[in-house]
Amino acid sequence: MAKPPKAARTKKTANPAGAGRSTVWLSGLACGGLVAIAPGIALLAVGLLAPGLVAAKLDREPGRPVGRTVLTCGLAGCVHPTIALWNLGQSFETAMAILADPATLGLAWSAAAAGWLMTQVLPLGVRAALEASAIARAARLRLLRERIAEAWGLDDGGDPA
Amino acid sequence: MADTEPNPLIGGIYRVALDQPLAEAGGGQMAFVAIDRRPNRAPAMALRVERRASVRARALQTLTTNIDGLLRPLTHGPGPGSGGEAGWYVVCEAPLGRPLSATPRPWSEALLIDLVLKPAAHVLDQLQGHGQTHRAIRLNNVFQTAPNQPVTLGAAWAAPPAMHQPAAFETAYSALCAPTARGDGRIADDVYSLGVLLLALALGRMPMAGMDPVAIMHRKLELGDFAALTAGERLSPLLADLTRGMLAEDPDHRPTPASLRDPPGARGRRVAARPPAHASRPFRLGGVPAWNNRTLALAMAIAPAEATTAIETGTLAHWLRRGLGDSALAVKLENLLRLRARESPAEKETNAATMAMRAVAAADPLMPLCWRGLCLFPDGFGAVLAASYPGDPATAAKLNEIAMTEATGIWARTREDREASATHVAEARRWRSILRISGPAGGLPRLAYTLNPLMPCASSQLEGRWIAQAVQLPSALDAIAGVSGVTLVEPAIAAFVAARTERWLDREVKDLAESHDPAGTALNALRLFAELQSRYHPGALPSLAAWVAAGSQPLVEQWKNRERRTIVEERLKQLTATGQIAAMLTLLEDPPGHAADNEGFRAAVADLARLDAALRNIAGGGAPRGEIAARLGQEIAAGLGLSAVAATLLLAALG
Repeated sequence: MAKPPKAARTKKTANPAGAGRSTVWLSGLACGGLVAIAPGIALLAVGLLAPGLVAAKLDREPGRPVGRTVLTCGLAGCVHPTIALWNLGQSFETAMAILADPATLGLAWSAAAAGWLMTQVLPLGVRAALEASAIARAARLRLLRERIAEAWGLDDGGDPA
Repeated sequence: MADTEPNPLIGGIYRVALDQPLAEAGGGQMAFVAIDRRPNRAPAMALRVERRASVRARALQTLTTNIDGLLRPLTHGPGPGSGGEAGWYVVCEAPLGRPLSATPRPWSEALLIDLVLKPAAHVLDQLQGHGQTHRAIRLNNVFQTAPNQPVTLGAAWAAPPAMHQPAAFETAYSALCAPTARGDGRIADDVYSLGVLLLALALGRMPMAGMDPVAIMHRKLELGDFAALTAGERLSPLLADLTRGMLAEDPDHRPTPASLRDPPGARGRRVAARPPAHASRPFRLGGVPAWNNRTLALAMAIAPAEATTAIETGTLAHWLRRGLGDSALAVKLENLLRLRARESPAEKETNAATMAMRAVAAADPLMPLCWRGLCLFPDGFGAVLAASYPGDPATAAKLNEIAMTEATGIWARTREDREASATHVAEARRWRSILRISGPAGGLPRLAYTLNPLMPCASSQLEGRWIAQAVQLPSALDAIAGVSGVTLVEPAIAAFVAARTERWLDREVKDLAESHDPAGTALNALRLFAELQSRYHPGALPSLAAWVAAGSQPLVEQWKNRERRTIVEERLKQLTATGQIAAMLTLLEDPPGHAADNEGFRAAVADLARLDAALRNIAGGGAPRGEIAARLGQEIAAGLGLSAVAATLLLAALG
């Protein structure tokens, strides 16, 4: 059996699965570090970003667009509670108290819900706009075709669309 | 217009008075008084031309100066015919007296010489100087104004040469030909006719009167012309010597017109010819007994099929050796048989006719070209063709064979020792090349019109009209164009146009014959009629223009742009009303316009293809558009999320 070329033996090809695993490991390390250093903030983040995390877990699309949007929107809802927790000493109890506040939790989760809603509604809106544009263009082209065919006696071919 | 006016001026000068016929002036042809619109002019007569008898165009063109003692042609042109149809007339000087046939009486030698021979010889000498012959010297066509006045030769220009000559006034060789096929001949043929006229006047009666033409020919060939014509009657010695010379069988032995102006001199220049050998027993062909080589040639000409059989079976060669003692002729005939065996068997009948023709010429080199019973001299080919096309298909077929086999060239080569054949050979090749032109621009009709410059167009569409020149055609076509269902582009008219316009309309006529699509036919017809109009009839031709326009729809439809087509249609209607076909051609042909139209059409087709592709893309682009919309919508959502984060961070930072 012929040996593979030297270059193929010496150079390892990039492994996306390996890179993903590294990211997971690094993310886990960062999360573990955050829990160890600031458990209150970690708790608050988990509580407030729970919809985003769930969305990111469930989203199987490349680039996780839904999860990304829900997380970013949820993140916008986390900014004020996190600043409040920072200013109140970052204790675990304070984090629990903030989390227990329905207004704070509702605002953060509503922001996440709004993000999810946007991911569902905006594609439909864009699709509608694109379709309308295509219909208008087709109408213009048909009119032009009709004029040319009429002028040159080429109207026996018919409209292909 | 000339062809529609009932009694137009001929040559712009003469008007035919149909109510004043001249019974004796035409020498057998219908003649009428021609009224000269100029005062105090010599009387003129108009000779009516028969439709199938071509006029002597070359003589009409050549004889422009006065010749004393001759009724020369003055002009010719269309005039009123019989039964309301158009006719054609040759206007000549009118005779001032009656023809010699009106008062038959014996003339004295002195009167004959002074009043007949010398003036007629002068005329013949003048005609010879013009390169012409008369070929109509006979009792009813020679006139005398008053007793003791010199005679005047009548008109001979309104019919083919010698067409109306009685058999007695022509040599047996000429009389054997069809009346229209005798040809211009030579001045010696006129000398012969003058000799017969002198004999008739000396005898006071028509020689060989009441005899059948074949019997006259046979008698002349058997006994010799002088002996046959005088039939033992005694003449004065001077007259006998003169007429014997003038009636010599060989034209080369006859005195010239110039020598006849000095009769005693001409008498002394007689050339004696050896009489032909006489057989001990006759050889019969077609009921004609042959006693010598001349009567044998006559019999073979009259019965070519029997002659061919006799040559093939060897009976004729046997008779020639044993009966006539002419072994040289027998060898010639056997050589002809061997020559025939080498020729293509596919053309059996043509080969047999060629052999018979050669055999006749070998037996008597003075004989005309004899082809399947049709006898003609090559210079009479055109006239006999005019007489047979299109009414006599059998003769026309024989003439077609003669031209296609170049028989006149073969005939001339057979008698090379008498006359150089080069002219005949070249002429035969020219005829054949015309016959070989395909379509209506060639063939027998084209040849007929080419050889007869004043032959009227034989188209059935022009029935009742006498269209002999191209200049008459446009107005005639315009006159008949209004008739429903008329076909103006038909073979007879196309051949007429091609022949009369020499070469410059050949391409148009040829294209017309070769175009099979309606647009091509319409365009070629348009070109042809436009050329005819621009050359011959610059005035309006509204009916012809309407006829052409009605057939031009395929040309209009060639314009692809509808707006342009509508403009062209409107413009065509306007031009049709003006009757200008050339302008219609310019409108419909218009190469730059058609190029632009075609270019526009190609661009339009390309545009349509591009638009169709775009419409197909739009119609089939739903799924891709959905993907784009989903991706774009989610990207926008993501962007909005980031913007929200950025905004809350900014608000927090600003307190």
